[in-house]
Amino acid sequence: MKKKVLAVLLTSAMIVATLSGCGGKEESAPADSGTETDTSQESQADDAQAESTQGETEAAAEDAGGIVSAPTELTFIFADGDEGAKSSMNEIVNRFNEAYPDITVTIEPGNGGAYSEFIKTKDSVGEFPDVMEMRDTAMYVRAGKLEPLSDEIVSLFRTTTAFDGKVYTVPLGGENTNGIIYNKTYFDENGWTEPATYDEFIALCQAIADKGDMAPLVVGGQDIWHMGFWFHKAYNDQVLSKDADFIKHCYEGTKDFSDETFKATFEELQTIMQYAQEGWVSTPDAQITTFLVNDMAAMMYSGTHMFSQISQADPEFEMGWFAIPSPDGKTRLVGGGGIGGLAISAEVAKDPDKKAAAEAFIKFFYEPENYKVYCETLSAIPSTVETPDLDVMDVFQEVIDANAAADDLAPMWNGRVGENELPPDFRNFTYKTLIEVLQGTRDIDSACDELNKTWQVSMQSFNPITGVGIE
Amino acid sequence: MNSTNKAAKKKKFDKTAFAFIAPAFLLFTLFIIVPTVSSVYYSFTSWDGISPNVKFIGLANYKEIFTSDRFGNAMKNTIILTVFISIFENSIALALALIVDNVRWGKNFFRSAFYIPVLISGIVSGFIWKIMYNYNFGTFNAVLDNLGLEAWKQDWLGNSALTLIMIGVVLIWKGAGYYMIIYLASLQSVSQDLIEAAQIDGASPWQRFKSITVPLISGAFTINFTLSLINGLKVFDQINVMTDGGPGFTSETLVYLLYKVGFNEGRQGFGTAVGIMLLFIIIVLNTIQQKFLRSREVQM
Repeated sequence: MKKKVLAVLLTSAMIVATLSGCGGKEESAPADSGTETDTSQESQADDAQAESTQGETEAAAEDAGGIVSAPTELTFIFADGDEGAKSSMNEIVNRFNEAYPDITVTIEPGNGGAYSEFIKTKDSVGEFPDVMEMRDTAMYVRAGKLEPLSDEIVSLFRTTTAFDGKVYTVPLGGENTNGIIYNKTYFDENGWTEPATYDEFIALCQAIADKGDMAPLVVGGQDIWHMGFWFHKAYNDQVLSKDADFIKHCYEGTKDFSDETFKATFEELQTIMQYAQEGWVSTPDAQITTFLVNDMAAMMYSGTHMFSQISQADPEFEMGWFAIPSPDGKTRLVGGGGIGGLAISAEVAKDPDKKAAAEAFIKFFYEPENYKVYCETLSAIPSTVETPDLDVMDVFQEVIDANAAADDLAPMWNGRVGENELPPDFRNFTYKTLIEVLQGTRDIDSACDELNKTWQVSMQSFNPITGVGIE
Repeated sequence: MNSTNKAAKKKKFDKTAFAFIAPAFLLFTLFIIVPTVSSVYYSFTSWDGISPNVKFIGLANYKEIFTSDRFGNAMKNTIILTVFISIFENSIALALALIVDNVRWGKNFFRSAFYIPVLISGIVSGFIWKIMYNYNFGTFNAVLDNLGLEAWKQDWLGNSALTLIMIGVVLIWKGAGYYMIIYLASLQSVSQDLIEAAQIDGASPWQRFKSITVPLISGAFTINFTLSLINGLKVFDQINVMTDGGPGFTSETLVYLLYKVGFNEGRQGFGTAVGIMLLFIIIVLNTIQQKFLRSREVQM
């Protein structure tokens, strides 16, 4: 009898334990407590900013009453893989929650490393956030998951991307401008200056390689998105400079990836990549800062988000920045407003209170005093009409100036919409094929053939010219 | 007579047994059977995994599978990895089991030591080995440096010729202890009388092992080869952490291709078709393997 009772009790416990794993929506914590402490300490340290925020909070609170008819809760998800993103978002959300007592924005951890998959998983389990950082905008717009943003919000920005005349995302910052971040001390010691032409850049790489005490370039080839920085640079130089609608023409069948300009992209990268550090294929992006600050490499090619990482890794490190000129002498940079940014879910827009709260949050986020926190922490180039007064490093100011002076400023090749939008799987396939070419396991002609074959298959399920896959 | 049979059948229905089985059965049906069956349908669609519109495209996904180089490459990588780990994992596991079975002291220590890697998660072991393999900061190249063997230094995970082998090494290190336990249990069930009789008859240690031990533990071979075949075909964690299928497509296996196209590239329909193909491959290979290994088993 005792055994029976024990067996029943144990079985019940197992069932309860099993079912508890299948529980519903997890309770979301307001903002992760560690970060909360960090941000509050930061706020205390900056008295002037705190006073300004307090004034703004009080002003906003006066208006808060009219926005929602009842206490409203919003969930907010962003790519929190970067500590800077986490702390700045927490800071702004805390300010908003203080300013609008009737609205509570709750941050849910966003699994920054695999953010796109994370959002898809959230969607598939019915937990699509109310407000979010959106990256795969086109896919979610077509799936009807996003709400068009009001003209009032859109007018706050210098550039936005529209789908059929409607804007669904507002950029968190200008597109991440890539350029060469270099060891200024090392350059000065050797009398090297920033190259003014592409040939001078290659000559500089050769000079560093000849000196032999460090690699000219550090490349995080294990992360294929890092290879995307390099690919876009060469593709911009060789393909987009001659045909801005190359992808559209590939959809139409008037061009393909055996085009001489596309082959020249691979050739340019073969030239550059011979100056990368040994083991670049298996080096993750997260490790490239280590190479730079430890005198293992003289230069890296990356975005402005690296400035704060480098400073944190070695506060004494003196860095310089320059854009690599194109072989034709022009300066082509990644910049301007991109396809990603903050978005509101279509579901939340069905509730007038939630929609109003979500719009209020977005407007609050981009108010100069709040947006300044994000831009300064992440070295993001402001995308708003009314830009915050940023207290930034000299090197970041150089990037802002270069953006203003560039001959061409455009999003990455995979960040375009409309007739130049890539099929969903094509970007990664290209980068992986590129690595095969750079490793010498595939020649350029064979790589172009593979890309053509994959393109043909991709076009069967996605072609913005014929409307396949986007209806 | 008929009514007696019916009564007997009714009597056989055990409510208590049903109550115990029902929760597991329901959960298994809900989370395994239903998704598996519904995935067959999705494999005939171009669903992106998000959109509510699921478009039926017939056999297009399967046609792509049979014509795509990427699937062929993933298939080749899967076979290389599975064959490599099935052979070496079992050889090493058997060697470890023989060592543990024959050592005079520290039997428990060796058994635990060889089993510890099994307890480490695939993700964690992947991270640990990835750090050790690192070209610039890793243990292996540092050791070679210190031994004055700089020329032997390799980009262990970046060299296309080595990547799959290096992943296989991690899988063997992690899995051998588990198979060792199965071999050990089987070795310990081999009758000492037979061994002693063969010894008296003048059989050498190798002859005793080959003609008595191996046939008597052939059941363990069947289990272990089946498990390592299935584990080889569905390896994911280490590839995800160590190489992400790269460099290029060098370490992209079928399961990893399924994940990449389904969850990363927005082609859930195609990914599901790859999954269905993988299911068939596992069933076919396992059936062949079972037939071959079962025929060699010796019943005592």
